Amino acid sequence: MKVEIEDKNESVVTITVNKENDVKTTVFSLFFIEVYSLSYFTLRFFKEVFTPPYEFKELIKQSFLIGYKSLALISITGFIIGLVLTIQSRPTLAKFGAVSWLPAMVAVSIVREIGPVISALIFAGKVGSGIGAELASMNVTEQIDAMQVSGANPFKYLFVTRVLAATLMLPILVVFADTFGLLGSYVAVNLKDYVSLHLYFSLIFQSLEFKDIVPSMIKTVFFGFAIGLIGAYKGYTSNKGTEGVGKAANSAVVLASLMVFIIDMIAVQITSLLQD
Amino acid sequence: MQNSVKNKVKFGLFITLGVILLIAGVYFIGEKQQLFRTTFRLTAIFADVGGLQPGNNVRFAGINVGTVENITIESGRTVRVGVIVDENVREFIHKNAVASIGSEGLMGNKILIIVPGTAGEPIIENEDRLLTETPLNIDDLIVSFKSTMDNAEMLTRDLAVIVENIKLGKGTIGRLLMDKSWAEDFDIAVVNFKLGSTGLRRLTDEALISFKDNFDSTFVNLKEGSISFKNTVENAEKITFDLSVISDNIRQGNGTLGRLVMDKNWESDFDSTVVNFKQSSLKMSELIEKAKSSWLLWGF
Repeated sequence: MKVEIEDKNESVVTITVNKENDVKTTVFSLFFIEVYSLSYFTLRFFKEVFTPPYEFKELIKQSFLIGYKSLALISITGFIIGLVLTIQSRPTLAKFGAVSWLPAMVAVSIVREIGPVISALIFAGKVGSGIGAELASMNVTEQIDAMQVSGANPFKYLFVTRVLAATLMLPILVVFADTFGLLGSYVAVNLKDYVSLHLYFSLIFQSLEFKDIVPSMIKTVFFGFAIGLIGAYKGYTSNKGTEGVGKAANSAVVLASLMVFIIDMIAVQITSLLQD
Repeated sequence: MQNSVKNKVKFGLFITLGVILLIAGVYFIGEKQQLFRTTFRLTAIFADVGGLQPGNNVRFAGINVGTVENITIESGRTVRVGVIVDENVREFIHKNAVASIGSEGLMGNKILIIVPGTAGEPIIENEDRLLTETPLNIDDLIVSFKSTMDNAEMLTRDLAVIVENIKLGKGTIGRLLMDKSWAEDFDIAVVNFKLGSTGLRRLTDEALISFKDNFDSTFVNLKEGSISFKNTVENAEKITFDLSVISDNIRQGNGTLGRLVMDKNWESDFDSTVVNFKQSSLKMSELIEKAKSSWLLWGF
């Protein structure tokens, strides 16, 4: 089995694993090779992002494609999640006679956890796979090689812009998802009771604090970065051939979704530690 | 080209809306925590804050006017609570305002309640210390409630036994309420009472007639009696006058009785007489003893 980490500007890193000799070693080796490659791409991203020339036009274009084009999907998802969460929670709270706590409970749930995580998963499904497939197909059709040959920096132009766009766009999308989620919750509350929009949002902001909103926004930056990075990495390092495109898209979604949960778990631990 | 401009507008709108929503969220949360208002600080010292936390609301006349900024242990026995209060409310809080710790419902968050104080007192200043009241401890309340419930349980148990006994016709009340023979006896008693009252009425009528006949002769006798009573009273008056004269004489020491009661010389004479009598009786007894042993009285 042959794993290649191609550095278009510098040398081509080629790692060869002898699959026939030791299967056990290969599985572990592949994992650590993947970790090494991802770390390499991450460090290179940070190097390239701060060094000129800056690809602002491509960044704006990618932000539009990644952010604006995902807005409808994420807003609808947020609205439905808010609606469903409220309808599902209402009977339990009604048992305790605490229906008036519904806006507070839903607001904290959506802002702290559900909004960021659901948005990130949708984002991983749409954008992560999109970036992975796009870069993989460019890799398969040797467009990346062509860029390299023509003297452009494909890593900066293709990789950095997409990762940066994903990192910047997800927090904004999460704000929309939270807003639409709370609107969905308002609609759900009004299916059974009558609560004015003013009172509803007053109750929501009474229950929310900076310690709810700030960690949640910081966490989404990491989600966006992880999704963009994994998508771009999987596409950039895909195998040659049409099979590689599908594989890259698929593994980008799976790994990005998993990373979202891992980051979320770490973020919860750090947040609770800081709050104590 | 036109499409590109459209996309730019859409993207710009998307970013602007996102940022506005984020800023609005931050503003409303900050507004709740009095970040964008002029505020002043107050402190309150409690022995026990009962679970109050930084960020809890400060309530004045039922309105949220501030938040708890910090809670620090001042000494081993006291806790200092620092609060931020909206400047607009300051004019209504007086120096003798009292802070207490309450709760938003039985299971709700803790809140700090400020009672404004009396109108004549000066307005509170920044960094002033509020007077405090000990918060209501839910645990104590539950303990008290439990003992009340235990008592209620005992009472209801006893009541159930009493009701059961009444139902079985035991005891006076039980027999009164449940015994049918008592009810029959009571009916008979009522009938007898009715009959008796009729007879009584007849008797009283007769008695009234008889009384009327006898009243005149009785009145004459009474008149005579009253004359006799008047004479008796006059005699008694004379007797009391005489008694008064006698008591005056006694008080002044006139007469034998007066001297006996009021004369101090008599008192000393009487004392010396008693002493003499005592001494002579002693001597007499000695004499008798000697006489017993004298040869002159042998044979007696």
